[in-house]
Amino acid sequence: MIQRWLGIATAVAGLAALAAGAAPAAERIVCVSKQINEFLYAIGAQDQLVARDLTSVYPPEILKLPSVGYHRALSAEGIVSVKPTLFLTDGNVGPEAVIEQVRSVGIPVVVLRPGSTPDSAQALLLALGARFGREAQAREVLVRWRAGMDSVLADSARLAAHAPRVLFMHFGQIVNNYLGIRSGTPADRILRWAGGRNALDSLGGMSRLTPESIARAAPEVIVATDVGFDRVGSAGKFAELPGVSLTPAAKSGRIYRIDESEIMYFGPRTPAAVRHLAGLLHGGR
Amino acid sequence: MSRPPSFRGTFTGLTVALVASVVLSAALGGFSFTPARLFSLLRQIAGLSPALPADAIERNVLLSLRLPRVALTGLTGAVLGVGGTLMQGLFRNPIVEPGMIGTSAGAALGASLVFVVGVPVLGPAGGFGFFALPLLAFAGGLAATLLTLRIASAFGRVHVFTLLLAGIAVNALCAAGTGFLSYVARDPQARNITFWSLGTFTTASWGAVAVVAAAATLGLAAAAREARALDALMLGEDEAAALGVEPTRLTTRLLVLNTLMVGVATSMVGVIAFVGLVVPHVLRLTRSSSHAFLIPASALLGATAMELVDVAARLVIRPAELPVGILTAVVGAPVFLLILLRAQRAGDPGAHG
Amino acid sequence: MVELRGVGYAAGGRTILGGVDVRFERARLTAILGPNGAGKSTLLRIAAGLLRPLAGEVHYDGRPLGTLDARALARRRAVLSQHAEPAFPLAAIEVVEMGRYPHYARVPGARDRDAVKRALAAVGMTERATQRFSTLSAGERQKVQMARVLAQLDAGPGASGRILFLDEPTSNLDVRHQLQLLEIARRLLAEDVTVIAVLHDLNLAGEIADQLVLLDRGRVAWRGERPAGLPIGTIEAVYGVRARAVEDPVDGRRLLRFMS
Repeated sequence: MIQRWLGIATAVAGLAALAAGAAPAAERIVCVSKQINEFLYAIGAQDQLVARDLTSVYPPEILKLPSVGYHRALSAEGIVSVKPTLFLTDGNVGPEAVIEQVRSVGIPVVVLRPGSTPDSAQALLLALGARFGREAQAREVLVRWRAGMDSVLADSARLAAHAPRVLFMHFGQIVNNYLGIRSGTPADRILRWAGGRNALDSLGGMSRLTPESIARAAPEVIVATDVGFDRVGSAGKFAELPGVSLTPAAKSGRIYRIDESEIMYFGPRTPAAVRHLAGLLHGGR
Repeated sequence: MSRPPSFRGTFTGLTVALVASVVLSAALGGFSFTPARLFSLLRQIAGLSPALPADAIERNVLLSLRLPRVALTGLTGAVLGVGGTLMQGLFRNPIVEPGMIGTSAGAALGASLVFVVGVPVLGPAGGFGFFALPLLAFAGGLAATLLTLRIASAFGRVHVFTLLLAGIAVNALCAAGTGFLSYVARDPQARNITFWSLGTFTTASWGAVAVVAAAATLGLAAAAREARALDALMLGEDEAAALGVEPTRLTTRLLVLNTLMVGVATSMVGVIAFVGLVVPHVLRLTRSSSHAFLIPASALLGATAMELVDVAARLVIRPAELPVGILTAVVGAPVFLLILLRAQRAGDPGAHG
Repeated sequence: MVELRGVGYAAGGRTILGGVDVRFERARLTAILGPNGAGKSTLLRIAAGLLRPLAGEVHYDGRPLGTLDARALARRRAVLSQHAEPAFPLAAIEVVEMGRYPHYARVPGARDRDAVKRALAAVGMTERATQRFSTLSAGERQKVQMARVLAQLDAGPGASGRILFLDEPTSNLDVRHQLQLLEIARRLLAEDVTVIAVLHDLNLAGEIADQLVLLDRGRVAWRGERPAGLPIGTIEAVYGVRARAVEDPVDGRRLLRFMS
C-alpha cells in the first residue's frame, strides 16, 4: 500500500520536475528576432514574451509589447531593464558586445540561428516547440507548412514557364539606401518558387543599388518591401526614382509592394507568400 | 598664473558638479536606482555587506554595465575637454576642435579597418582582438596627424593657418576612406561602422576603461606640464619664441599628446564632437585664460558635461538609447553659435590666425 | 654689447641683408633706420636671435649667440614689436605676467609677482591691471606690452648684459604715447640695459638715440655716434627725397624737413 503511494508520489514529483525544467513558471522573454517572434506566436508560446525589437511587427498583436530598440542598435541596459529571464536572438544583433554584456549580468542568452534553408527554419520551429513545451502545436503548424510548400512546389514548375525578371528592392535603414536582394537568399528562393527570375545575377546577401545598377538589371517587375515603398508613397512615385524610371517595370507599371516579413525568412506563411508573389508576377494565371 | 585663492573656489565648484553628475549617471538609466539603493548595492559589491541573491541582477548591472560606463564617460569627457584646450591654445583660435587636424577622422579610419576585417573587438572579452581597435585607431589618428603636419611644413615654417588647411584636407581624405570601407563592407560590418561613428558609451567595459584611463593619465599629466608654454603662446608665435618657447617642438609635443588621448578615446567610443570645442571656451569666458587653470578645469568640466549628456542619451528614448554624438551636436552647436555671436558683438578678437 | 659680423640673409630669391658689420654699444640706445624694405626688421630679428642668419655671426659680449639656449636667451634679452594681439580674453596683468615665463619653473613665485608690480608701475598702468587687455586703447596696450618686456628683463639688482629690442614700437601711437614709451626705454639705460630700436622717424631718432645705423637695401649706409651727424646728402640719397636741416632756436637741436 505505502509502496504504491510512494510510487505515485515519485511519479508525480518527477513529472512536476520535468515540467518545471522544461517550462519554468514565470518566464519573461525578450526576443529581438522578428522570425523567432513570429514562430512563437505561431505555436502559441507568446505569453511569456515581454519585449520585442523595433522590426518585429508580425503578428499585429506583438505591437502591444514594448520595443527595446532596433536590433542592430541595442543597449544591454535597456534589455535588462525589462527584467527578462531569457534573452532570445537569432544572432543578428548589434553591437556584438551586447550579447556578452547581457550574459555578464546573469541573464541567460540563447542564440538560435535559423539557417538559410526551409529545412533549417522548420528545425528552428521544432526546437522552439520543444523549448517551450508546445511540441504538439509546432508539429501541427509544420504539417500545414509542409503541405503548403508541397502544393506550391508542384505549381512552381508550371509557373516558371515564363519567368519574368524581378528585382527586389529593400530599404536599408542604417545605410539609408535601397538594397537589392541577390541569389541564395530566402527571398530569392521564394521568388523562384513563385515562378520568377532574379534580375540580379550575383550571389549572396544584399547589395547597394545605384540608379545605374537598377537600370542595368532591367527588371520586368519590381517588388519593393514595405518600408522602402511606404517612404515614397505610391507605385507611381516609386517609378520616378532615379534608375527605376528607366526600367521596363516602371514603364509597364509593374511595381508592387510586399511585406518584408513575408519574404525575408522562411516561415509558416511562406506558402501564402509564394502564392501572393506568384499572383503579382503572373496575374492570377 | 597668480591668483590661487579664487581659483580654489572655482575648482571646488567644478569638483562638486562632477561628483553630482557621476552619482546621477550611476543612478539613472534603463535601470534606475535611488541613492539609498545605489549605496546598498555598492556596499554589497564592495563586500561590506552580504551579497543578497535577490539583488544579483541589479548588482551585476551596476558592476558590469553601469559603473564601467560612468567611468568611461567621465574619462572620455575629461580627455576631450583637455584636448580642446590644448588645440585652442596651440592654434590660438577658439574655434578649433581636437579633431580638426585629422586625429578623429584618422582614428575612425583605423577603427573602420578593424570592423571591416571583422575581428571581434568590442566587449569585455580580452585578447588581441580587444586591443586591435584602440591600437589601430591610435595609429590611424597619429598617421593622419603627422600627415597633416608634414603637408603644413612643406610650405615652409609651420603656421597655424596652413596647419588648419592641411587638417581639412586630411580629414576629407580619411572620411573618404571610411566611407569607402563602409561601402564595400559586407552588410553587418557596414552597420558597425555607422553605429560606432555616431559615438556611444553603450559597450563600455572595464577593459575599455583601463585602456582609456591609461591614455588619459599619461596625457593629462603631460598636458599639465605644458601650461606655461601655452600661456606664452597666447601672445603670438614670435613673441612666444622671444620668451624662450620653441614653437615647433611645442607643436609636435601637443599634437602627439592630443592624438594619444583623443585617438584612444575615439577608438573606444566613436566620434564625439563639440565637447572639446565648447568646454574650454566656456571656462575662458567665465573665468580665466590661464592654462594652469584651464587644463585641470576643462578636464573636470568635460567629464561633468559628458556624464550629463550620457544620462540624457539613456533616458530620452528609454529603453532604447540615443547615440551620444548626436546629443553633443544637438546641444553643442547652438551653444557654440551663441558663443560666436557674443564674441562678435563684444568685438573680441575671436578668430585670430 | 651686441655685435654683428658679416651678417647676411636672403629669402624668396632676394638678398635682404648683405655683409652687415655693426656694433651696438652697451647701455646705449641705438636706432636702426632706413626706407621700407631696407632690411631693418630682419636685422633686428637676427640680432635678437629670432632669425638665423645665412652668413655671419651674432655675438653678445663676445660670446656667439648659438651658445645660449632659448631660456637663457629669453632671460638676457626681450623683444617688443607692434603686433602682439592675444586671441583670448586676457587681463592686462596676465599679459605682463607672461614676461616672467623664462624665469619660473612651474608656477610664478613672489619674485615674479614683484617684478610684475614694478613693471606695471614703471609704465604707469598699475590702476588698470585687471582691465581686459582688448578694451585698452592702442597706446595703453603698447604700454602693457612694454611692461611685459620690462618684467621679462627684470633680473634683480646687479643684473648685467641685458638687451631690449624694439621693432617699430610706436608706429600706431599718438605723440604723447610715443614719447612716453621711448622715455621708459631710455630710463633702462641707467640700469645697464642696451636698447636697440628700429624706428621710422628720423626726427624721433634724433630726440632719443645715442647712436644711429642707417640701412639701405641690406647694407649699412651710415653709422655714427650722434644722429645729428647724419649728412643731408646721405639722407637724400637713401630715402630719395629732398631734405633740409633746421635748428631749434631754443636748444640748437637739429630738425629735419622733407620735401619730395
